[in-house]
Amino acid sequence: MQRADRLAPLTGSVAAVVLVTAAIFLLRGGVPVLSLGSLYVLAVLPVAIFWGRIWAVLVAVASMLAFNFFFLAPVYTFRLSERSNWLALGVYLATAIAVSELAARARRRAAEAEQREQEEALLGELSIALLQGESLVDELPRIGAATGSVIGVEGARIELGKAPTQGIELRAGARLVGTLVLPDDADLNRPAVRRFLPALASLLAVGLDREELERQARAAEGLRTSDAVKTAILRAVSHDLRSPLTAIRVAAESLTSSSLRLSDEDRMRQLETLRLETRRLDRLVSNLLDFSRLEAEAARPHAELVAVDELIGQALASVDADPVPIDVELPVEIPLVEVDSVQVERALVNVLANAQRFAPVGTPVHVAVSAGDTEVVLRVANAGPAIEPHELDLVFEPFVRLAGDDDRDGTGLGLAIARGFAEANGGRVWAESPPDGGATFALAFPIAHVPARAAR
Amino acid sequence: MSGTRVLVVDDEPQILRALETTLRGAGYEVETAPDAATALTRAAAKPPEAVILDLVLPDRSGVEVCRELRTWLQAPVLVLSAVGEERDKVEALDAGADDYVTKPFGIDELLARLRAALRRAAAPGEPVLEIGELTIDLDKRVVQRDGDVVSLTPHEFALLRYLAQNEGRLLTHRSILRQVWGPSYQSESHYLHVYVSQLRRKIEPDPTRPRYLLTEAGAGYRLVSPSLS
Repeated sequence: MQRADRLAPLTGSVAAVVLVTAAIFLLRGGVPVLSLGSLYVLAVLPVAIFWGRIWAVLVAVASMLAFNFFFLAPVYTFRLSERSNWLALGVYLATAIAVSELAARARRRAAEAEQREQEEALLGELSIALLQGESLVDELPRIGAATGSVIGVEGARIELGKAPTQGIELRAGARLVGTLVLPDDADLNRPAVRRFLPALASLLAVGLDREELERQARAAEGLRTSDAVKTAILRAVSHDLRSPLTAIRVAAESLTSSSLRLSDEDRMRQLETLRLETRRLDRLVSNLLDFSRLEAEAARPHAELVAVDELIGQALASVDADPVPIDVELPVEIPLVEVDSVQVERALVNVLANAQRFAPVGTPVHVAVSAGDTEVVLRVANAGPAIEPHELDLVFEPFVRLAGDDDRDGTGLGLAIARGFAEANGGRVWAESPPDGGATFALAFPIAHVPARAAR
Repeated sequence: MSGTRVLVVDDEPQILRALETTLRGAGYEVETAPDAATALTRAAAKPPEAVILDLVLPDRSGVEVCRELRTWLQAPVLVLSAVGEERDKVEALDAGADDYVTKPFGIDELLARLRAALRRAAAPGEPVLEIGELTIDLDKRVVQRDGDVVSLTPHEFALLRYLAQNEGRLLTHRSILRQVWGPSYQSESHYLHVYVSQLRRKIEPDPTRPRYLLTEAGAGYRLVSPSLS
């Protein structure tokens, strides 16, 4: 024990004896002094409760000596004149010791109960943490420290599997889960070790198993999606790239063939096919590139301040307005956003092209911009078929084509790319089915608030 | 061939347009259909003399269209297939298609295949066929190569006769087996490989580099006149 640890019980014990002695001194006028000796139990009891049996016995002996010295004739000596006083003194001492023993036992029980409570609380906390999916490895230092505090050791840590250092093995049944590594001079609470460690080991085993299952499930899911993506890319390359290639080859060869007789009008038709199909190939290749960049997480945005109307202007320049016109409605105050303008343009172009594809013949695509406090929302609406509620999220998945989408122009990548680029730039995309019909795709980006002196 | 009516079926508007223009430039009269339903309606309304059919259509597969056309239309069917659609291609040939070209095809190849298919359809069943240096007398069951008689077993002769009657046309394993050995043999393709190799030793100048009896990998065989290929 440390010096400081002894100071408190010593002071307390002395104080207890002094206090009770003083009390008897004050009371001795009215009551027979011999019966007042039992008051020393009041000194023994708290000492026994707070500091244990040894201190309590010491206090009992000191009390009897003080009683004899101060109150029993002849006073101020340790001698006793009457034999009956010896008997009383002996009874008091025995009582004090018995009481101290009882109190100390109660104290041990309380400490033990507290210890168990601490162990159970820790196990409960651990099981919640592990079952709620917190990472076991991340939690290990905390679990190790908490375990140390439960078994009365500082600097304990847990190593999973077979630890190279010496320690206590954590076993769940026959399975070695890990090792509790302790400092060399650790003074263990042995009963707590016996009680707590098997429970801890079982819990860790459950946690490890759960993590392993989760990892396997994730790996399987990853494989499945990457397989689906590969198949879809193969399909896209095989069908969607070859179709324009076929049209281009046929049109180009017919223009140069000496065995064919083409009218001027036919030549123009073939040239138009060449123009349209090369553009289409270009779009497909861009989309495949964008998509693989997003898949590989290689699309790092280079953010800059840009006005929303400028973004829309750039996107409109890259979209064919020929078959389906696009009209734009801007607010009075044009908000600024801080995004990679090339990437957001790609997102917008894909949303616009998608809206054009589904717009009924003769109807325009309508773009509306609304600025809130924190966000600017671009809504791209057409009068085409509404999207079923359960498909509103689905449309942004790569290679998903909804029923009725027999269009051959898409790779099924456009909206997935739009979502990828929007999210990479801190934005969101979603689809809406407005009550008055049609389909709306919305892109939202945080408004960049420019400090007054930076603004023009 | 001028004025020969060809029905082109493809779901790709640009391919349809390019083919229509090209075929018209080659002197054909062209009708187009973007899907199976339109194709069958157009074919029924005005039976074409040849059909160019894409295997991937939005409403039904090209194989089904081919099978249905074959129930009442004699005109040759040329299938447009793509890499990755080999099984559909063989199925279409089994269902009665005459030949195929693989996208992206050149117009010379397409026009040559189309001409060959039309020529076969027009050719009457002659008793003596001449293919390159081969002379096949169907009545007398005599085969000569460059004037020398080639002796063939009955199955070898049946195989050569079927190939020669369909000169230039791709015949699938299944259809050859069915025709030469009978319907119960149509999956026994090892028979076919053995007989083809025997037949090549008898009719080819160099059996390791066949010039008459050509293999179409994964699909079937084709007997051609060496001067044409």
